[in-house]
Amino acid sequence: MRLATPGRKNGWALFKGLAFASPFIIGFLVLYAWPILASGYYSLADFSLFKPPRFIGLANYQRMLGDAKFWKSLYNTLFFTCIGVPVDITLSLIGAHILNMKLRGQALWRALVYLPSIVPAVAAGFLWRWLLNSQYGFVDEIARSLHLPQPAWLADPLWGSIAVVVVLMWTVGGTMLIYHAALKDVPHELYEAAELDGASHWRRFLDITWPMVSPVTLFQIIVLMIAFLQVFTQPFVLSKDPGLATQSAVGPGDSMLSYSIYLFQNAFTFLKMGYASAMAWVLLIVTLAITLLLLWSAKKWVFYGNR
Amino acid sequence: MHTLSARGALKSALGVAAAVALTVGLAGNAYAQTQITFSYLWGGAEGKALEEIIADFNASQKDIVVKGVSSPDMTKQLASMSSAKGAFDISDNFASNIASWANQGILLPLNDYKIDVSDFPDNVMKQLTVNGQLFSVPIASHNFQLIYNKKLLDATGVKPPTTTAELADAIKKLTKVDASGNVTQLGLGLTDVAAGLKTIGYAFGGDWNRGDKPTPTDAKFVKGLQFYYDNVVAPVTPAAYNKFVAGFGPYMSDQDSFATGKMAMVIDGEWRSKFNTQAGMNWGVVPMPGETPALLGSTWVDVSTIFIPTNSPNKEAAATFMKYLISPPAMEKFSHVLGNLPARLSLTKSAVYNDLPNFTVWLEALNNPNTHGLPPSLYMSEYNTDLASAFDQMLQGLQTPQAAMQSVADRVASYQQ
Amino acid sequence: MAIAERAVASPRAVLLKLWGYVLVIGLALVFVFPFIVMLTTAFKVSSDIFSAPPQLWPHTWTLDNFAAALTELPFWRYLGNTVLIAVLSVLGTLVASPLVAYSLAKLHWPGRNLLFITVLATMMLPPQVTLIPIYMMWNGLGATNSYIPLVVPAFLGTPFFIFLIRQFLIQVPNELIEAAKMDGGSELFIYWDIVLPIARPALVTSAVFQFVWTWTDFLNPLIYLNDDDHYTLSVGLYSFLGEHGVQWGPLMAACVLFTLPAVVIFIIGQRYFIGGVAAGALK
Repeated sequence: MRLATPGRKNGWALFKGLAFASPFIIGFLVLYAWPILASGYYSLADFSLFKPPRFIGLANYQRMLGDAKFWKSLYNTLFFTCIGVPVDITLSLIGAHILNMKLRGQALWRALVYLPSIVPAVAAGFLWRWLLNSQYGFVDEIARSLHLPQPAWLADPLWGSIAVVVVLMWTVGGTMLIYHAALKDVPHELYEAAELDGASHWRRFLDITWPMVSPVTLFQIIVLMIAFLQVFTQPFVLSKDPGLATQSAVGPGDSMLSYSIYLFQNAFTFLKMGYASAMAWVLLIVTLAITLLLLWSAKKWVFYGNR
Repeated sequence: MHTLSARGALKSALGVAAAVALTVGLAGNAYAQTQITFSYLWGGAEGKALEEIIADFNASQKDIVVKGVSSPDMTKQLASMSSAKGAFDISDNFASNIASWANQGILLPLNDYKIDVSDFPDNVMKQLTVNGQLFSVPIASHNFQLIYNKKLLDATGVKPPTTTAELADAIKKLTKVDASGNVTQLGLGLTDVAAGLKTIGYAFGGDWNRGDKPTPTDAKFVKGLQFYYDNVVAPVTPAAYNKFVAGFGPYMSDQDSFATGKMAMVIDGEWRSKFNTQAGMNWGVVPMPGETPALLGSTWVDVSTIFIPTNSPNKEAAATFMKYLISPPAMEKFSHVLGNLPARLSLTKSAVYNDLPNFTVWLEALNNPNTHGLPPSLYMSEYNTDLASAFDQMLQGLQTPQAAMQSVADRVASYQQ
Repeated sequence: MAIAERAVASPRAVLLKLWGYVLVIGLALVFVFPFIVMLTTAFKVSSDIFSAPPQLWPHTWTLDNFAAALTELPFWRYLGNTVLIAVLSVLGTLVASPLVAYSLAKLHWPGRNLLFITVLATMMLPPQVTLIPIYMMWNGLGATNSYIPLVVPAFLGTPFFIFLIRQFLIQVPNELIEAAKMDGGSELFIYWDIVLPIARPALVTSAVFQFVWTWTDFLNPLIYLNDDDHYTLSVGLYSFLGEHGVQWGPLMAACVLFTLPAVVIFIIGQRYFIGGVAAGALK
């Protein structure tokens, strides 16, 4: 760095910078750096909250490989993510186009669409548990009146996982509003030119809209992916069998057992904190891997600006 | 510090004396009444009944005031016990967790409090004593028998079964399916899947925890599981079975599955006596049918226990309250109000339970050699969770009982033992 | 567009508009329908709730469920607790995050870029990784079963808000700051009197988001609060389920009560919410 003035000025700038940033620097060290290292150590140990850690090397990770529930929870979570993220993006794009039609009452529509996102996840979980009940729930009732199949959402292992995705899709309002704003930024001239050329709606979407919003899409995919990989509250509440204090499977056939729920069980129910820490590290690596993969693939389909 | 003048010294002395007097005064007041927190897993009507007992205790003496808190989540219980300062002084749980928790060092050893346990059954105390040290006391015990809807049985001309063969026959006659294949009535159902399946396993002479070790693939136990699947689930198809079960109303509410006739028979515990009667049902109960007459009444005992965590702020007071809770009069009242079995053998003959219809079937089971107790095991929590998953796989028709139990057996190696 | 074209609406245009309204109402309905179910169920008697096939509208309206929820659930206490934590968290965010954002946006110092990358990286970190060590830390400090673990992190800066505010501040013209510097203002003065007021929209957005996040947080209160005196609404609602073996009527009533304050805040602060949602992703 070239210094126009003596080092003292640079030192002062450094001090100011650090001073203002100090809350986060402390926060980072205390709430991120140290815990990450500590959990790395815990993952190599056998310990519970009440006993000191005992170093056991990679035993936790080895156990993971043979743990059928671990794979099940990973599978479930990847299911939620790989189905949930594309559906989220698709629904949001469709909804954003609808919102973009020049209609009155924009504030109302936007508010209604976003409202589910601020409902506390616990309440949403209970509500959907009620809605998806095979006998008393409204979802199957509506399906019946539309002559659509009425799956046993909370009883069938396949539909159990889908039920979780449905509940998560209830909150696509956020993504929808982001796309709504992004669509507005697409220059009209491009559409008009395409219309003059005789391009169909679909063509216009594919050739203009999609590339223009692709940076937003990339960002959203990453954000949603990270969120879905960590999903906890919705499947946790959705699967809780009310009235029974004893253990039951998490969703029919453990189909709602998300990675985070299994991690939580290991940490706080079985008191296997070493194992839970190992699981957390695997999640970190999976998240990083997918993020890097997405960023790398971005070169192929993300279009920055209209230069 | 500066030098003291005579006056200054006098002032200081008076100050110190005043401080001491104040402290002693305050401390004196503090010892006059200790407040302790009793956090319990019960809720709803049962919680209210428990509050009555607590009120009795508070009224009976002046030294200790017990505050009851209903906190049904076991995870929170554990979290509190992990803190340096506990959120409660005394709490309840099931015997299956005692050994594991004692091993973690979070339960207060009770030998020093000289609690008399002679009146409690051996198969109960077995679970609560680890290496000769007592860690918890039983307050109520539970066992599971075959409850039936008299009205539905009479309508079909079926007699309450005494062997599993008769049970199979009864189930066949009492299972009803409508034209589209949907179940409208189950011959036999389970409200607590794990408890019911374990009971059936015992009815065939099997044991999921034989010789104090986890034995999910015990041949006779699997035979019992296969029995349930073959007679209840398979005939109606797993899809129809699960759809029916998923649509049940909340347990022990006015939409209770048994009370609304959705199942003609159910394997459940003694607390149903009070509930079924209040629901106005015409019902009965028989000892669990066994594969052979010798196995009649095969069941297992689940015990509700009271314990004191090691981080309890007021251990002495908690112990005093604990002794009160398990004293015959308090236990009698508590078990009667909740409709639970008393843990004390002397109370099984008490006349106070006469107003609970058919309660004797469960009471007598306490003395039956076919009633199995459980050993103190470190792995119960995980084992039960794995069993729950496996039972679910089985009932969904995704795995045969043998395969499901094998998958649990594969995990047993990683249990703490 | 020619004025003549706009003056007369063609039948096709009208039909298109109508179709548009159908679509948007349909869209809104899909999102709002569960709410309606929640509301109507809260007012139903048990026999109406458990009617198969289900009926949306109650035959008999009752306030019993709300009464049950309010008496069985110490609603006001939980509400108070949740408000307290939410307000403190918002305070923490407003104090700490802009400070850090300012250091990243307007100050020039070595290591600034490193810190920015760090902020971005921590945004991607799954909380599960740090959950247990942080719990152990608070446990060791004797701070479990208190609000400290729930509130203190906000005072140490939240990566997402730091990022959001920083993106906003970058767009603030430097001339204002240069002018103040030449007038001899200290950095703190510039920050407090000039930059913060300009950053108000981003601050309000952050405040509103932080409020809703804290309001709806479940996992953290679940593991850190053991005393039912201290419970927040999330955990209280969850305990309610266990305590009452689920009576759907009171449970839905409790859900309505829980959601209501969030909805009210949302309606009031709608502009900031929705503006913030878009701003956060686009910039």
